[in-house]
Amino acid sequence: MSDKDTNRRRFMQAAGSAAAAVALAGCAGGDGGDSGESTPTETDESGGGSDTEEPDTEETLSVNVTMGQMDSGLDPQDHAETNTEIIVGQAYDGLMDRDKNGGIIASLATEWERVEPGVARFTLRDGVTFHNGDDLTEEDVAYSIRRIVDNDVGISSPQANDLGAVSEVETGDGEVTVRFDGLNPIVFQLFATNGPVVQQSWIEENGSDFINQNVNGTGPFQLTEYDSGNQVSFERNPDYWGEVTEVDEATLGASSESSTRVNRLLAEESDIVTNVPPQEVSRIEGSDVAGVNPVASTRVIFLQMRYDVEPFSSQQFRQAMNYAVDLEGIIENVLNGFGTPTGQPTLEAFTGYNPDVEPYPYDPEEAERLVEESGHAGVEITLQTPIGRYLKDVEIAQAAANQIDSLSNVSCELEQREFSSLVQDITTGNIEDKPHFNLLGWGNGEFDGSQTIIPLLASNGALTILKNDEVDALMEEAQNEADPEAREEILREANALLHDLAPWVFMHQQFSVYGVSNDIEWQPRNDEFIDIDTVTRR
Amino acid sequence: MSLGRFAIKRTLQGIGVVWGVITVVFALRFVTPGSAINAVAPLDADQATREAIAAELGLDQPLYVQYGQYLFDLIQGDLGFSYIRGQAVTPLVLSKIPATVELAVAATVVAIVLSIPLGVLSATRRNQPVDYGATLFSLFGISTPNFWLGIMMILVLAVEFGIFRTSGRGVDIADVFFSVVGPDPFVDTLLGWLSYITLPAIALGTYFTALITRLTRSGMLDELGKPYVRATRAKGLPETLVRYKHALRNTLTPVITVLGLQLGTLIGGAVITEAVFSWPGLGTLVIRSINLRDWPLLQGSLIVIGISFVLVNIAVDMLYAYLDPRVAYE
Repeated sequence: MSDKDTNRRRFMQAAGSAAAAVALAGCAGGDGGDSGESTPTETDESGGGSDTEEPDTEETLSVNVTMGQMDSGLDPQDHAETNTEIIVGQAYDGLMDRDKNGGIIASLATEWERVEPGVARFTLRDGVTFHNGDDLTEEDVAYSIRRIVDNDVGISSPQANDLGAVSEVETGDGEVTVRFDGLNPIVFQLFATNGPVVQQSWIEENGSDFINQNVNGTGPFQLTEYDSGNQVSFERNPDYWGEVTEVDEATLGASSESSTRVNRLLAEESDIVTNVPPQEVSRIEGSDVAGVNPVASTRVIFLQMRYDVEPFSSQQFRQAMNYAVDLEGIIENVLNGFGTPTGQPTLEAFTGYNPDVEPYPYDPEEAERLVEESGHAGVEITLQTPIGRYLKDVEIAQAAANQIDSLSNVSCELEQREFSSLVQDITTGNIEDKPHFNLLGWGNGEFDGSQTIIPLLASNGALTILKNDEVDALMEEAQNEADPEAREEILREANALLHDLAPWVFMHQQFSVYGVSNDIEWQPRNDEFIDIDTVTRR
Repeated sequence: MSLGRFAIKRTLQGIGVVWGVITVVFALRFVTPGSAINAVAPLDADQATREAIAAELGLDQPLYVQYGQYLFDLIQGDLGFSYIRGQAVTPLVLSKIPATVELAVAATVVAIVLSIPLGVLSATRRNQPVDYGATLFSLFGISTPNFWLGIMMILVLAVEFGIFRTSGRGVDIADVFFSVVGPDPFVDTLLGWLSYITLPAIALGTYFTALITRLTRSGMLDELGKPYVRATRAKGLPETLVRYKHALRNTLTPVITVLGLQLGTLIGGAVITEAVFSWPGLGTLVIRSINLRDWPLLQGSLIVIGISFVLVNIAVDMLYAYLDPRVAYE
């Protein structure tokens, strides 16, 4: 309560100063430019702060982030989407974490090892406390893992598959040992991305309503105010176990309108805004208050083709579709260059990426030849695309469909569908009910090729559109290979094979484009998480 | 019919309308593609996870069971539980009402303050430049989409000149009232509040302003041509009194009716304006719950909007009959 009052009071002072500055600028005929330029990051409400108040106000670093959507409740284990992860991730830690480039780093566990195949052991950090002051215990960590993977512990978590097939969790001597069904070769990749740790007693004593509106983590920020669907405010956790952040306060809000997000940045009301659309980039770059900071994300965009229906059952036809699409042109013209062409399911810098595989070149003549060879000349196909789910999805699909349609022996139409409607068909258990040809995006926060290939392209994958014995065998082998180098080699082979099989029209690696205020220094991460604690003053 | 019976009759009709809203929203689940499970579970969740989540949320029950349960809870004042946000719907929806009402009232105030004087001026200076100007303004107001107007105002007045805030609701009207007695300076608080509310209020109120201007103008012209006005003039009353005490007063009856009805519309109809300005009201809540297939939250929001609309309508009907004794409660 008092925090809210403090924030409001600080805003009043700022508003007063800003109003006075506007009035003065009006009187003097000046440009008033100084009213907002002094210390815009000082408060999220901006304006020049009062110089008559406590001197430490000058030192306060407040960071305001505007995303596309708000959270779906603050329970860190009861959601499965990025915006909620960004919000709860400010306050909750996992056993391990990732650096800016996706590398694995320590978090609540200081050491980790594979004790034997299918068994991983984590050594917990000493002296970690939750925001309520209680110490972190081994039991809390074990409970957190069980609450995620076991439907009988508290909730049916949508993250149930995120940690692998956990069979047992044991504790003792400051260590937590997790046993899996099978090898789980990427156990540490999984734990570096997933598995936020909660306090058992706090969860058990409070109901869902409370847990979704309050926070008790071990992270660098603690909650000060939660205005559901509107705004979440944090302050620095003074007892944080890690490096103390320079940021005193962080506020996360959302606007579904991309122009509103950009306007907030340019009016110095926000310091970081997400998903800047390509057409807005020049407006930000032309301003003197903010810049654009793009980063290759962990999301790949592709057009998937069902292996069991004509004409997509023909490998030649599928390859023809790849030759027919001018990927470079689409990236340049539709995405203003914010994309990297792909030629395999696994992204560069991920485990299993095959550097010898090149994207398909744009070659409409080769495409026409392959269509002829496939025996499907004159065929009519329809590409389905979601509307507004991925950056410029409709425009990308339109361009691709036009290019395919311009082949002399294929007609291609575009069907736009609302994402929730399309996803209903995609997630159906039966491959027979899935669309024949559709655009889809896939984020892979584990930085391991298997996390794309298994769900999307192995015959037992939840979303698969392909059944190929060779791919299945390779993935089976990879999942049972304990030696990382040998496993990487298997995944590379699978990627080369999938390039040739062409179950997708391989499109691009999507970029996350952020607008960032000139008053702060911040580098975005690949995995779309916004680590506010790494923000510093410029 | 007495006022009491009239009120009871209209309330019963209102309950029927709200029940209709609930039923239609429930029925929409049949025709709207996309399951709520997909908003909760990751895309690659296996069938077992999906079924477990569905069971936990009660989504595995037949629709008529869900419907019956919902009505039963509703009678007890419980609007259900948002499975996306993991929170009770009732407090969530109630917490958004002040923002929406504040914006609707502010837009109405903008409309009244601008439109009535403009309408009167336009009528009394008929076929003069002021009248042409007002007509042009009305045409602009009626034909301009409010989201476009909102975006343009943000670009010019907030981003370029920095006079107003681009979005959000950092200071609310309660803060302004508290500043009269509290430690915050009143003028600064008021300016802070105005910096947030002015643009959305204008964006939302412009259409309405144009409408009322036209209504006031035609009403005034009508009244000014009536015999009783000639009689008051003949009595030697000053023109100001003739216009404002007699003619304007009679013009206002239909204006008030439209104002009231429009206020009801504004509560439910500010969806686009709220989205453009990230205004944290019911409209934003409706959009987000539709996007996430959060049916309990959507139903709760629509029920509250429906109830507001019904209440405002009843109040306007009663006020109308009160203002014009020739109208009976029928």
